[in-house]
Amino acid sequence: MINEDKVALMTRMASYESGRGKKDIAVLNYFRGDYIGFRVLKSVIAATIAFCLIFAVYVFYNFEKLMQEIYEMDLMAFGKNIIVLYLCTVGAYGVISYIVYAVKYSRAKKNLKVYYGNLKKLSSMYDR
Amino acid sequence: MTTLLVAKQYVKTFISKYEVYLKPLLKFLVAFITLSMINGKIGYMNKLDSTAVVLMVALMCSFMPMNFIVFISAAFVVLHMYALSLECAVVTLVVFMVLFLLYFRFAPKDTLVVVLTPVTFSLGIPYVMPLAMGLIGNPSSAISVGCGIIVTFLINYIADSATTLSGMEAEDMATKFRFIIDGFLDNKGMILMIAAFAFTIIVVYYVRRLSVDYAWTIAIIGGALTNLMILLIGDLVFDTNVSIGGLILGTIFAVLIAKVLEFFVFNVDYSRTEKVQFEDDEYYYYVKAVPKITVAAPSKTVKKIYTARRRPSGNAQSRNSK
Repeated sequence: MINEDKVALMTRMASYESGRGKKDIAVLNYFRGDYIGFRVLKSVIAATIAFCLIFAVYVFYNFEKLMQEIYEMDLMAFGKNIIVLYLCTVGAYGVISYIVYAVKYSRAKKNLKVYYGNLKKLSSMYDR
Repeated sequence: MTTLLVAKQYVKTFISKYEVYLKPLLKFLVAFITLSMINGKIGYMNKLDSTAVVLMVALMCSFMPMNFIVFISAAFVVLHMYALSLECAVVTLVVFMVLFLLYFRFAPKDTLVVVLTPVTFSLGIPYVMPLAMGLIGNPSSAISVGCGIIVTFLINYIADSATTLSGMEAEDMATKFRFIIDGFLDNKGMILMIAAFAFTIIVVYYVRRLSVDYAWTIAIIGGALTNLMILLIGDLVFDTNVSIGGLILGTIFAVLIAKVLEFFVFNVDYSRTEKVQFEDDEYYYYVKAVPKITVAAPSKTVKKIYTARRRPSGNAQSRNSK
């Protein structure tokens, strides 16, 4: 005899497992620190590439001016400015991505908690 | 109203029944319209600018994930730009790369907005975008729409100045490069549009979440007015040459579309038919879970009215007891 309650519960759980749950489980395979750290590292790399692209465009845009002034300008100060700008950009972006991924992690944890609750309910149905 | 609700239920049933076929069809249509528009606007590469190619690519898109459309559209734009001049292609590619690297890693679901924004612009209904995204999205959609506006203005700018660009000497790369970037960045209309749309999305989002009656309608109208006001004031301050007639007409049209959207989206739990399979010790289950569809029947309320009747016996009794 098919237990209808059980089927309903199992269906709900299976639909979660094949949809959102897949992502949530993938997220929770990591410890919180590892997950966020890894993602933030990726963000920093992405931000670095983006910064390099924009910097390249800037240099090309001012190419003639830079070429004319290259012997007169204070290269150290110029480099310092660029590095400070880079650090600010990447720092801000890193903080934003830290917040985003921290929220994602806690959401996944919450969803999976509900799922495990359902799992417990299911196993208690078998015991009966 | 009841007929409309029945129609809504009918549409819902239809969609949940034929979703398997409708989804690829929708993807195909989106890809086809987008690619045709790109070809119409900046069809500089003759090889890509043919209906056969567009049809083939759109057909391919219908079986791929939604974001593939975004990728293909970006590739089309860059290739057309390359046919016009190398500098245009480089600038466009850098803009796309930066958008992808900095923003769309967080919100891969929002990438379609970047494609739809230019499409609504060329259809003449751009003001739909902030209202719709405020209704169905969240405040971060403001950034997605902003990216869409940047892409739109970049494409429009290059399309408008194509003759100037092709008239320039081929050796003078730096001048061409500077010409593109100057024109693209020094565009007050773009910045005003981004600000107006972002603000509108946030207003619509927060108003529609208020727990008041008709929150969605208030949100739509309030958002439309906010957008209108910001664009008009911005036009006065920055002199951006916004056509006022077009603005008002576009806003009215946007409100109408947003109302239609509200009708279909409001109160819809995004539940849909799902097919899952699992097993336990005794059975294999192949379950098709169909969400319950509630037909909104007009409810009858029965109001009972009692006239106040004097009960002489009770009064007499109480008097007696005294």
